This record gives sequence, structure tokens and C-alpha cells, in this order.
Amino acid sequence: MDQHIKKVYMPMTETAFYILFCLQKPNHGYGIVQMVENMTDGAIRLAPGTMYGSLSKMEKDGVIRFVREEDKRKIYEITDLGLEILNIELNRIKRLYKITQEEI
Amino acid sequence: MKTKKQFKYFSIFNHEKEQDYLREMHKQGWKFIKISGLGVYHFEECEPYDVVYQLDYNQEGLSHRAEYVQMFNDCGWEYIQDYVGYSYFRKPASEMNGDEEIFCDDASRVAMMERVFKGRLIPLVVLFTLCLLPQFIINLVSLHNYGIAILIGFVIGLYLGCFAAFGIKYAKYKNKTKK
Repeated sequence: MDQHIKKVYMPMTETAFYILFCLQKPNHGYGIVQMVENMTDGAIRLAPGTMYGSLSKMEKDGVIRFVREEDKRKIYEITDLGLEILNIELNRIKRLYKITQEEI
Repeated sequence: MKTKKQFKYFSIFNHEKEQDYLREMHKQGWKFIKISGLGVYHFEECEPYDVVYQLDYNQEGLSHRAEYVQMFNDCGWEYIQDYVGYSYFRKPASEMNGDEEIFCDDASRVAMMERVFKGRLIPLVVLFTLCLLPQFIINLVSLHNYGIAILIGFVIGLYLGCFAAFGIKYAKYKNKTKK
């Protein structure tokens, strides 16, 4: 795997994680903002400047791809590379969680 | 309707102060209409209200303006205008759950500074090394035009201050994202 991808996504920011996680189904930026708000009971509200910058950067990195445009909203979905790094991140988080469940 | 104009100078890395200034004006009953020229802020009298102002710098967004602005509108931010690559947005504090900004993590704040760096600082550095610095040396050493040398020296000082301010701010955010 590309050094750049390793550096930026292992581990990744919470924003990148939510974007990849939500884009397992095609969606647009604001759709992701709403999904994350619902999933976290309003605790996390992604901001538009962060979303716009992250989506275009992640598209360039090849972890998500542009599908189509609807009402001036770009719809994206995750790529195979995106799924691969999402799974690596999930395993990292699972391991962290597992460790916290064990006695020190 | 009463309007007024104010000239204000903010260096390119002081957009936070500029945001605070616009918010403060709105609180005092002066709604921001537009910025023109070299920094003339136009206001219109309004009901005093707490409105948060935010600036983004995203050239890619500007070249896809319709969908860029749509994303901000969807999140409740009103788009006002572009000015030398910056986009101006505002949202009433009463419509927010707690504090809200157009960036929600330091990684994206650093990314914005890097865009400013590429879009605005690099051209300045080029101008500085190819034009200002040689002019300064020629005037000082060969032509003995000390008046002009002092003037250029003053501008060089401003530039260096500007570069330093950027460096400090960038390092601050960069450190935060490393933690």
C-alpha cells in the first residue's frame, strides 16, 4: 500500500472514519452529516468546510469515488481501497476496545 | 436604510480576527453586506444580533461554486461573497447547538492553512525574493537611494512579520493534530 495512504489513514481522523463508514452506501456530504448526527445522538456534528475539504481530498486519494450529481450535491461511494483501510481501522479500534476490557 | 463603510486591514493569516470583527459589528446592529477594494467593509443597519462569521479558502470549491455553496447552505450557513480567494459565510448563533464553526477538527484547519499557503503565500515569497529583495540591495548598495531603501526595507519588515505569523500559527495547529 502507498506510503501516503498509510500516513494519512492509519490511523485516520474521526471525520475520515465517519465518511468511509457512511459511504458504504452512496451518499452526499450533507447526507453524511445527518447520518453521523443521528448515529451519535447529536454528539458529533460534522462541519461543511471540513466535509468539503475531506471529500475532495479523499476522492483524490482514491478511497472514495464520485458517482453522480443530484440537485447540486455530489454523491460519492467507497472504493475497494477505501474498504480495505476502513477494515484496518476497524480492527485497530476493536483491538483497543478489547485491551480496555482486560484487567491491567 | 442607513449604511456605512469602514476600512480595515487584516493580514492574510488573520482571518480569525476578521471573523470576530464582523460578528462584533453585527452584535452592534451593523450587518455585513460586502467587502470591496483593498479592504472596505460595507455594512447596513439592522437589529443587533449574534451572528457567527466564518471564512474558508478553497479554490477547488470556488471552481465548483454551486455544489460548494450548497454544502454550506445545507448546514445552515449563508454564503455572502468571495474576496481574493476567501469565501464569507455566516450563521446566527441561535441556530447552533453550542459553538459551531465551518471546521470541526484541527486536521481540516491545517488543510485550510496549507491552501492559503499555496494560493497566497508562495506568490508573495516569489515576489519578495525576485523583486523586493534585489530592489532593496540595488537601492542601498549601488544607487545609494536611502529613502527608497528605507521604504522597501519597511515593506520587507511587514512581509517577514507576515511569514513569521503564518509559521507560528501553522506550527500551533500542526502540533495539536499530532497529539
